[in-house]
Amino acid sequence: MLQSPWSRIGLRNLGRNPKRTVLTALGLAVGFFTSVVMVGWTQGLMNEMVDNATGLVGGQIEIHDAEFLPERSLYDTIGGRDGIDVEQLVAQVSEDERIIAAAPRVYAGGLLSSGDATLAGMLMGVDPEREVALSRFLDDLVTGRLPQPGRNELVVGTEMARQLESDIGDEVVVVAPGADGSMGNDLFTLVGTYRTGLVEIDSAFAVLPVQDLQALVVLDESRIHEVVVSTEDPWLAEEVAAVVAATLEGEMPGAAVIPWTELTPAIVEYTALVDVFYFVIIVIVFGLAIFGVANTMLMATYERRREFAVMLAVGTTPRGVVQSVLYEAAALGLFSLALGVAITWPVMVWWHNAPPDLTGLVGDIEMMGSVVSLTMRVEYDMGFTAMAAAALMLTALLSALYPALRASRVPPADILSGL
Amino acid sequence: MGRMARTRRCAGLVALGWLVTGGTVLAQVDPIEIIDRVEQLYRGESSRGTTTMEIVTENWDREITMEVWSLGNDYSLVRIQAPAREAGTATLKADRDIYNYLPKVDRTIKIPASMMGGSWMGSHFTNDDLVQESRLINDYDIELSFDGDRDGVLVWEFALVPKPEAAVVWGRIEYRVRQADYIPLAVSYYDEDGELARSMEFSDFANMGGRLLPRLMMMRSADKPGEYTSMRYEDLEFDVGIDESFFSLRALQNPR
Repeated sequence: MLQSPWSRIGLRNLGRNPKRTVLTALGLAVGFFTSVVMVGWTQGLMNEMVDNATGLVGGQIEIHDAEFLPERSLYDTIGGRDGIDVEQLVAQVSEDERIIAAAPRVYAGGLLSSGDATLAGMLMGVDPEREVALSRFLDDLVTGRLPQPGRNELVVGTEMARQLESDIGDEVVVVAPGADGSMGNDLFTLVGTYRTGLVEIDSAFAVLPVQDLQALVVLDESRIHEVVVSTEDPWLAEEVAAVVAATLEGEMPGAAVIPWTELTPAIVEYTALVDVFYFVIIVIVFGLAIFGVANTMLMATYERRREFAVMLAVGTTPRGVVQSVLYEAAALGLFSLALGVAITWPVMVWWHNAPPDLTGLVGDIEMMGSVVSLTMRVEYDMGFTAMAAAALMLTALLSALYPALRASRVPPADILSGL
Repeated sequence: MGRMARTRRCAGLVALGWLVTGGTVLAQVDPIEIIDRVEQLYRGESSRGTTTMEIVTENWDREITMEVWSLGNDYSLVRIQAPAREAGTATLKADRDIYNYLPKVDRTIKIPASMMGGSWMGSHFTNDDLVQESRLINDYDIELSFDGDRDGVLVWEFALVPKPEAAVVWGRIEYRVRQADYIPLAVSYYDEDGELARSMEFSDFANMGGRLLPRLMMMRSADKPGEYTSMRYEDLEFDVGIDESFFSLRALQNPR
């Protein structure tokens, strides 16, 4: 193909006005850069949102008693009143390779009081060691450390600590109705604070070891409300949940295994919506570019009308003329793509590995109920990049279509005689 | 005086008497006055009583014995005597502040106004019910909705609707009061959506401390039919000679 006269003419014409060629190519290249980086950044935000929604406090999969949600009654423990062998359940669930970790949880509503301040809160009993492998909100404690079992220690959110006017080492009175009807109460020491950035979590959850909470609310050690499971990829959760459910079905008929996509379907819908948006980005970016490139091609072909007149006069078919212009456009397209990739790839790698941090400007943003930080981390999306490249080539070709047609219709005699 | 004059005077007096009594019968029922009387039923200048509370829920049953003190409308103290595990637990209302004392940890926690609607010790009575923090006549517009016979007893029924500024839990309350002696018979509590949330019945009328009072109050949950809490006055006396100093945090920890 490169041997055909039209392609050689087309290629050579690129070099005719180098500045113009480079500028036009840059126009397309910047369009490519813009769409790939914008989509990369949006994808980064989406991933963070999903990660946070599923990995911050909860897990990608939750196992409860079928009655537990939505009221979260103290009495609806897995396996009912008789409870279960917690270690065995956790071990059984963790067998699947795609599962990173599983951990037990107990929940109870109660009051926390320090000095004159009394708050209603949700007490969350966790296994501190297992949690660290699973959820993230306890990983980077703002102050202090994780609570140790058997010592009446707890960790609260920074907002709750603020409302309680409490600091590390302070005493907190915890009151919670017990499963036997008694009013459970005990003194705890605040040993750490966490921060998710979501006020409804930071002001509501007090975290303590499972056994301590069970003792407070008079629940036997075999009674837990939840097993939280994390999978390596949030989008695998549905599949893994189905497998786990099948494993447990015979042994624990009352239990429900629920992936995050069922717990927070809004997020799933939102990501699907954003996927459509990527397509819109391409249309807008290249729709804009097409006019600029068309203008340039029009100018270029007008400039060379004599040349086309000669070609036509010596017997070139109009189709041949069109082909030569289109080859030029294709060559321009390829050059633009090369330029585009050259400016995009380093930036993508840079912002993927060392994203610029705009949190100083805006702070954390809450999106669909989970926090995203404004660090411009970009994600690679090869599928979209290929689509952008195709769009670029298409833009180049389409914008040359009209100029090519006009070039082929140049009246040779008139042009050559000086009109 | 002449006989004619005396007769006329007698007739005049009789007529006057009839007018007065007839006037009373025909006088407007004052809903606010009646509800206020009902609210003050278990109070006086001061009062002291012993009550037994039975709580039945779908998960457990309990019985609590407590001592209850009050002074006017601003001071209340409830102290648990039995079961032994919770003896000494107390709820104190002093003026605007409510406190719970927990003997196991020897600490007092302050209960904010936002928690007044919360359950007291797991029962179907709220903190507010126990210490009478709110006053119906202050927080509700009260209207007479029925005046007549229910099951052979002449009663008034009142509809209480919260005033716009009132920070109350209920969307509506219906009160039934016995006309003969202003004794409450039943109360229905509706939530903000107009659904019945709980209902209370008064029964076992007896003379306590010189007054005729219902000894038994039965509070039933509307959405959990088998559940109820009953509170029964074992004894009650009025004007027991206590003052504000009795209702202090220190007194919570060192019962007299």
